Amino acid sequence: MAVRKSGGRTDDYMKRIGFLLVAFIVFSSLSLPTASAQVPVRMRIIQASNVGRNIDPSLNDVHRELGSLFSFTSYRLLREENLRLSPNQPVTITAHPGRFMEVTLVELKREAAKLKIRVVREGKDILDTQVRLSPGRTVLIGGPRHGEGVVIYALSARY
Amino acid sequence: MKNSCSSVSTVLEKYFDQEVTGEEKFLVEGHLQDCPACRDALKSMEDLRTLMKVPVEEAVQKEDFPWVWQKIEREIRLQEKRTWWQSLRSWLDVTPLFRRKVWIPAVATAVVLLFFSTQTIFKKTPSYPDGSVVEYVQSQTDNVMVYQLEDPKVTVIWLFESPEEERTTT
Repeated sequence: MAVRKSGGRTDDYMKRIGFLLVAFIVFSSLSLPTASAQVPVRMRIIQASNVGRNIDPSLNDVHRELGSLFSFTSYRLLREENLRLSPNQPVTITAHPGRFMEVTLVELKREAAKLKIRVVREGKDILDTQVRLSPGRTVLIGGPRHGEGVVIYALSARY
Repeated sequence: MKNSCSSVSTVLEKYFDQEVTGEEKFLVEGHLQDCPACRDALKSMEDLRTLMKVPVEEAVQKEDFPWVWQKIEREIRLQEKRTWWQSLRSWLDVTPLFRRKVWIPAVATAVVLLFFSTQTIFKKTPSYPDGSVVEYVQSQTDNVMVYQLEDPKVTVIWLFESPEEERTTT
């Protein structure tokens, strides 16, 4: 009888310790990077040229940015991809025969996703970079020739 | 020297309660060897104690004193009107555990948790210059230029393809 009562009191303390442990774990998990989460990244492959003066209507949201940065007169959306990047799982996008881009989520923190980006042409890395992509920021990778203009890869995080 | 029953009877109860001095003990035990009346008196005391002891012990075993004390403490706590802050502090107070053996596994758990949390907290993270987006950039074939704007928030990585490469890709 006395043992049962004493056990009840110990249970009470165990509940308190349990609560404190849960609070600690929740607090710790909030401060940890969300390593297992996926990052949605919007990638638009744009052809920029000086042939004509056409702005693709789907590029209206970035037209001002593109216009302030480059002197091309025509922008055409070649392709749009909504990527869901998982840590250390490369995603490959082919934009032109013999040339592809590989994007890998290296690390994810609340303030930015760290991406490793490779642009490979005929087996050679014409670009190997690592960027921190935060929400609201756009990374434009451009320069490779495409038809009568150049290709621009526009990456933006959506989280 | 023989002692009279009257003189021994005054210390017999003390002897029974084991409160006599060595000298008194010697005196009583010497007398008891020769006095059946005092031996009977001592035996009566022992019988009486036995008669009282058994029911009292049974009653004590039936009664749950820790439970009674817990109820009393609870009632006292209820009567004391405490602020929410005091209640919270009391609820979070685990110091009574330190009076028990549970503090050993508790400390071990805390050490393990501390070890893993410090690994995370003090993990060396690279410090980037403020606003830096591009950590590194390299190309096996072409020149690369990087520039960055804060309004709008755009970072540009531009590849300058060599003329030979331009010819092959166009």
